[in-house]
Amino acid sequence: MTKIMDSSQIEDQEFHTDLCEIAVEKFRAGKISRRNMLQLLGALGIVPLLHDKAFADTKEIVLVNWGGKAAEIIQEVLGDTYTAETGIKVVVDGSGPSAGKIRAMVESGAVVWDVCDSGPGSAIIMGEQGVAQPIDYSIVDKSKVIDGFTWEYGVANYMYSYTLCCNTAMLEAAPETWADVWNVKDFPGKRTFRKSVRGMLETAAMALGHAPQDVYEFLGDEAGIKAAIQKFRDLREHIIVWPSGSMSQQLFLQKEVSIGCIWSTRAHLLKDEMPAGTFTTSFNGGVLSPGAWVVPKNNPAGPDAAMKFLAHSQKPELQVEWLKQIGCGPSNPAAAALVPADLKPWNPTSPENRATQTVYNDDWYAKNQISAEELYVDALIN
Amino acid sequence: MAVRALTDRSRYWLLILPALAAMLIFYIWPLVQIFAISFTEPTTGFGNYVDLVSSRPIRTSFVITFRIAAITTIGCLVLGYIVAYTIYNTSVRFVGLMMALVLLPFWLSVLVRSFAWIVLLGRRGVVNDALMSIGLIDQPLPLMHNEFGVLVAMIHVMLPFAVLPIMANMKGIDPSYVAAARGLGASEFTAFRQVYFPQTMPGVFSATLLVFVLSLGFYITPALLGGGRVLMISEYITYQIQEFLKWGLGTALSVALLVATAAVILAAARFVNLRKTLLERG
Repeated sequence: MTKIMDSSQIEDQEFHTDLCEIAVEKFRAGKISRRNMLQLLGALGIVPLLHDKAFADTKEIVLVNWGGKAAEIIQEVLGDTYTAETGIKVVVDGSGPSAGKIRAMVESGAVVWDVCDSGPGSAIIMGEQGVAQPIDYSIVDKSKVIDGFTWEYGVANYMYSYTLCCNTAMLEAAPETWADVWNVKDFPGKRTFRKSVRGMLETAAMALGHAPQDVYEFLGDEAGIKAAIQKFRDLREHIIVWPSGSMSQQLFLQKEVSIGCIWSTRAHLLKDEMPAGTFTTSFNGGVLSPGAWVVPKNNPAGPDAAMKFLAHSQKPELQVEWLKQIGCGPSNPAAAALVPADLKPWNPTSPENRATQTVYNDDWYAKNQISAEELYVDALIN
Repeated sequence: MAVRALTDRSRYWLLILPALAAMLIFYIWPLVQIFAISFTEPTTGFGNYVDLVSSRPIRTSFVITFRIAAITTIGCLVLGYIVAYTIYNTSVRFVGLMMALVLLPFWLSVLVRSFAWIVLLGRRGVVNDALMSIGLIDQPLPLMHNEFGVLVAMIHVMLPFAVLPIMANMKGIDPSYVAAARGLGASEFTAFRQVYFPQTMPGVFSATLLVFVLSLGFYITPALLGGGRVLMISEYITYQIQEFLKWGLGTALSVALLVATAAVILAAARFVNLRKTLLERG
């Protein structure tokens, strides 16, 4: 039977596959002109564009992410620019670098991936299992990553948040804090929260009056978790859950909900799709979550080449481009200044937004997610 | 070379063999593996089944599942009986057309039909918009993301499954019985109640069984229209397997659902001769 993966990996995977869906939507809307139809079909995860060379090839870097349009965008924004600068070809493979796959690859000795779009939780686990390489911080610049988002075996590539979004046309005033979201009298209408507890209990903790920085301390013991779950039980009559990123978007578009806690990338799309001036996103009390670059051990292009590519991905202009195309927040603190003024409020990592958010705590989830999930479901259906 | 005379019996088995093999390899064996997982993950033993019984959300989910299946069945029976009766007791000209219309929903996938209900029942959906523009209501009615929406959509999806067995049964009923009853002085209603209706019971019974069993395990419609608060067991199983990665509990739930369904069928078999009901006409 297949191994059971750890829960933080699933977090990364679901968000990453959601990025693919966003990208497909954009393509269908004609917002992005795409080159290769075959590559699109392949990148949608049906046929991975896997290289079968298992030996080192310094003329090429294989970058792996979760496919779909996100793969095409990363090819353009990071891959082509790197090739233009250094002449080294960058191939993007959309087959989804789960920690399980990376581990299987390294242990079998046939590593074909150089750089993987993974997550901090997985990076820690892979480092412990000895299947990832420590990031060479003499090449990759630590100062080019926001404080606290560099780890021994991974470095943040982009960030996204769980944000407070609302449809102002359906409300008299816009809620500003999570406590407002729980105030059904003054802010009527249905709310939407994620079907899973990930990123959700923090909002209840903040509604109980705790500051974003203290949220995980409050949730650290059973009493805290129970109090947060009780908050959801109180609100349950007004909650519609979103099982996927696209549903969270659809609920707002169909005007089923007036307030919601959804991913910043989906909010990024909604700002254009909702009637002008009716949609707001607030990062006040948001939960910031990073993705992470991981380099598998014995990667074909060699550690140096991989690290140089990672250094390239830190360039602020490229990250701003990434934000524009698909809504992922830059991990380079210098990039925030380069974001165009109209996009600034939508940037999860702008200094103003970062000050009001808390950071998704993988350790807490590793310990508590499973029991919290069951309590969360119970609160919603009982 | 010895020539073996193939007896009838061995010929029969040889014909069945490919289908049986396919069934064993692709259905029975994976099912056995699922049973095995429920007993071995995360630790060997009955742990998962203990969790199943002691967990409150799971019990609530079972209650919700059976309740929705029961209401759906009743709704489908009432509506289905009326439709079937109309088809066989109106002009012969229209029978073919009406049967085609009953079968028409099968041309569309269940997913599409469920999404259609989302369009109809949403806060800004067709129904609410129509009612609001007429002026009957000024706030949209909560028709969706609750049990009401789930029931409406499920009755719609399950209706053909109710109509078809009843229709098959009615086809085989000899109209001369009712005529005889009328001739003996019975009113229309009495003739229907005492002569016609009892003859349709086998069809009604098969329809009940079919719709109930299907509804127990149904996933798409309640998942889309339930809003996360109407959590049927099938959705709960998906939750356990995909989100929580508790494969042990998920498979235990599947086994429990299978056992519950089998129990329903066995209970039904005690009251009616199932072979006669399901395999014979009228």
